Amino acid sequence: MIRPGRSLYSRIILVIALVFGVGSVILGTAAWFYARLAADDAYDRLLVGAALQIAESIYAQEGTISVDPPVSAFETLSLSANDRIFYKVLDPHGAVLTGYDDLAAASANTGSHEPLISDGEYRGFPVRVAVVGRLVSDPVAPGWAHVVVAQTREARIILARDLTLKALLLVFAMTGLAFMGVLFAVRRALEPLTRVERELRSRDPKDLTPLDVEIPREIQTLVSTINRFMDRLSGRIALMQRFIADAAHQIRTPLAGLASQVDLLTEETQPGRREHQLSRVRERTAELGRLTNQLLSHAMIIHRAEVAEFETIDLTALARQTLINAVPLSLDRDVDLAFDDPPEPVLMRGDGVSLREALSNLIHNALKHGAKTRLEVRVFAEDDAAVIEVIDDGPGIPASEWQRVREPFHTQSATGSGLGLAIAGDVVRAHGGELRFRERSEDGFAVILRFKRQHEAPELRTGGDAS
Amino acid sequence: MILAWKAALIIFAGLISLEISAAEAAEKTVFPAPGGQQTILSVHGATDLAAMEPLIRDFQGLSPTVTVEYNEYLTNDLFNRAASECDAKQGTMDLVLSSSADHLVKLVNDGCALNYRSVMTHRLPSWTRWRDEVFGFTFEPAVIVYNRDLVPPEDVRRTRAELIDLLRTKPEQYNGKIGSFDISQSGVGYLFASYDAHGTTTFGRLLEAFGRAGLVASCCTTDLVSDLASGRLAIGYNLIGSYAVGAARRGAHLAIVIPRDYTVVLSRAVFIPRFSRNPVSAFRFLDYLLSERGQKKSREASFFFSFEGTLPEEVDGPLWLASSGLLRPITIGPELLAVQDRAKRQRFLSEWRRSTHIEPEDR
Repeated sequence: MIRPGRSLYSRIILVIALVFGVGSVILGTAAWFYARLAADDAYDRLLVGAALQIAESIYAQEGTISVDPPVSAFETLSLSANDRIFYKVLDPHGAVLTGYDDLAAASANTGSHEPLISDGEYRGFPVRVAVVGRLVSDPVAPGWAHVVVAQTREARIILARDLTLKALLLVFAMTGLAFMGVLFAVRRALEPLTRVERELRSRDPKDLTPLDVEIPREIQTLVSTINRFMDRLSGRIALMQRFIADAAHQIRTPLAGLASQVDLLTEETQPGRREHQLSRVRERTAELGRLTNQLLSHAMIIHRAEVAEFETIDLTALARQTLINAVPLSLDRDVDLAFDDPPEPVLMRGDGVSLREALSNLIHNALKHGAKTRLEVRVFAEDDAAVIEVIDDGPGIPASEWQRVREPFHTQSATGSGLGLAIAGDVVRAHGGELRFRERSEDGFAVILRFKRQHEAPELRTGGDAS
Repeated sequence: MILAWKAALIIFAGLISLEISAAEAAEKTVFPAPGGQQTILSVHGATDLAAMEPLIRDFQGLSPTVTVEYNEYLTNDLFNRAASECDAKQGTMDLVLSSSADHLVKLVNDGCALNYRSVMTHRLPSWTRWRDEVFGFTFEPAVIVYNRDLVPPEDVRRTRAELIDLLRTKPEQYNGKIGSFDISQSGVGYLFASYDAHGTTTFGRLLEAFGRAGLVASCCTTDLVSDLASGRLAIGYNLIGSYAVGAARRGAHLAIVIPRDYTVVLSRAVFIPRFSRNPVSAFRFLDYLLSERGQKKSREASFFFSFEGTLPEEVDGPLWLASSGLLRPITIGPELLAVQDRAKRQRFLSEWRRSTHIEPEDR
C-alpha cells in the first residue's frame, strides 16, 4: 500500500519560500538601515553646506560681529521641500546673533572647522543638527563663532523609504526569478523519474528485463533496486515455470500407469490375479501420493528460501526429532537406526521448517534406496561448521552421478521421484552451506550437510517444535 | 474646585489681555450669518476690508450659517499676534491671511499651522504652497503708479533704471512727490524691497535716488494710493497692483505700470492656526478662496489679477504677465525664512534708512 505523502513540489516550495521569506526580512531591514544612512549622508551635505554658507557670512566690523545669512543657504535647505528649518548664529562669546534663541547647540564646538552633525529634537520635531565653527580674526573680539542649523527629517525619511522600497523590489524580483528557476530545475530534475515511470507503464507485463533508460546518479540506486527486484522476480517465475513443467511431467507418467492398471483390473476376472493387480494399484497410488507430497514440499522449500526469516536453531534437537518423525512405523526389513549427537547443542541460524524437510528427505532416501541393515544420523560441530551426516550401508551413489543427483527428477527408478536430494540441495544453498557425499567405505555411504555454525546463542530456540 | 476656579480665572485673564492687545491694532468687522448663525469663523488678515468683503459675502452665499468676523491688521501686528497665540498654545484666530507671505512661512516653520489637503489645494502651482499648511490664493504684481495729472505721459517710465534717470533729470518736478512703503512698518513693503535687493544691482541706486528725491514713506498701500489719487504724491513705487487697480476703478486718475525689467509677484498667503477653534469652517473658507468661484470673485471684485488670464485693462504691461518672462514670483517656501532673519532685517533696514534718510518712527 502506497501512502500518499506530501508532494515533493510542495516540500521544496515550502522550504524555499521560508528561506526567501526570512531572507527578504533580513535584506529589507538591512536595506532600511543602509537607506537611512544614505539619506542622512545625502541631506547632511546640504545641511552642512547651508551652515557653511551662513558661517561664511559672519563678519566683524569695528569690534562688532555681525551676520548676514544668504538667501542661497535657505534655498539649499529648501531642496528638501517640506522640511522645517531652525538655525542660530552665536558670536565667540556665545551671544545669539540671529535665529532661534532657544535652539540647543549640540555641544560647545570650540575651535574646529569640522562640522558636527547629530540628531536632536526642537519644538517637538525630530531634527538633524549641524554645527559649524568659524574663526573670527577680528582684533577686538577674536574667537570661534558658531552656526547651528537644524532641519526636520521628513525628506530623509521619504528618501530612505523610497530607497528601501526599490531595494525590496529588487529583492522580490530576484526572489521571484530564483523561485521560478528552482521550480523549473525541480521539474527538470524529476523528469527521469517520469521517464522511468513511463517506461515501466508501457512495458509488456511479461517483460522483466532490466530497465535501460538514461538516469542521473541520484536515482541510480532506485532504478538498480527496481532492476534487481525484477531480476529476482523473473528468476522466481522461471523457477516456478520449470517446476510446474517438471511436476506436470512427473505426475502424468504415474497417472497414466495407474490408469492402465485400473483398466487391467476391471478386465481381470480371475480372483488371484485380480488380487495381485489390486495390490499393484495400491502401490502406485501410494507412490503418487508421496510424489505429490514431495513436489509440494519442494515448492514450499523454494518459497521459504525467499521469504523465511532465519532464527537460531539447535541442530541436534532438530535432527533427533526429525529422525523420530521420519521413520515409518513399518518397514519391509529390519534396519538399525542410530543417532549420534554431541554433548552440547550445535547451533546455527536457519529456517527450521526447511531444514527439517531436507533432513527427512535424506532419511527417506536412505531408507528407500540405501540402508540394508543400518541407518545412522550424526550431528557434530567442526570448527566453524555445523554438520549433519546421514550414513547407510547401502550401495551408495557412484561418484559420477553426484552432480546429476542434485538436480530434481534425476532418478530412473520407477518408485522414486528423485526430488529428495534436490530439496536438500536447495535448502543447503539457501542457508549458504554445502551438500557433499562421502564414498562408500566400511562406515557406509554418507550424505553430508555442512552449515555455518553459530557459536553463542543469545536466545536459544529448540528445533523440536516440529509437527 | 477652588483650584479649578483659579485656573479658569487665569485663563480668562490671559484671554482678556490678548483681546486688549489685539483690540489696539485690529479693526473688527462682523458679517452675521445670513441664514442664521451656527458657527463663527474668526478671520484675521492684513488685507483691506474692501477687498475681503466681497469674498466673505460670496462665501456666506455658499455657507449661510457661518458668521464671519474679520479683523484687519497691519502685517507686522498680525504676525506678532499670531506668533504670541502660537506660543501660548491657544488662540482666537481661525484663519490668518496676509500679504507678508514671509511672516506666514515663519509661523508655519515654527509649527503653528494645521495641515490641509484637498482637491483645491492640490491644484495650486508649487510656488504658492508649502507643507500643505500655507497657501497663496492671489496673484499680485508690485507696480509703479503715476498720477496722470502730475506726470505727463512722456514721463511715465517702465523700468527702474529709467525711473532713476527721471528722478535725476527732473528733480524740481518730483522731489517730495515720490512715495513707497516704510519697510520698517510694512511687512509687504519689506518683502518687496528685500526681493528687489536680492540679486539686482539697481536697487541700491534706486534707494539713493529716492533719498535724494525726499522719499515719502508710508505704512500702507491704501494710504499711498489715496495720496497718489489726491495728488499729494506723483509717483508710487512697489505698490500692490490690486489696490492701485481698485483705486483706478473707483475713479482715481492713475497710470499703473508693470516694471519691464522684472516684476515681483506676490501671492497673498493664508494658513489655519494649529489652535483654530473652528478648523472645519476655516478649511471650507480656504477651499472657497482657492475654488474657481472664489478666484473669479477675487479677480472681479477684490484683487483683479489672476494666475491665468489677462492683465486688467487699466494696467500698462504685457497682456499675459504669467508667461512674459518678467516674473519674479515670491515663492512661498522656506527661502522666505531668509527674509525673516532678524540680523539680515536689521542690516537691511539700516541700509534703507541710510539711503533714504528716513528716521525710524517711535511706535
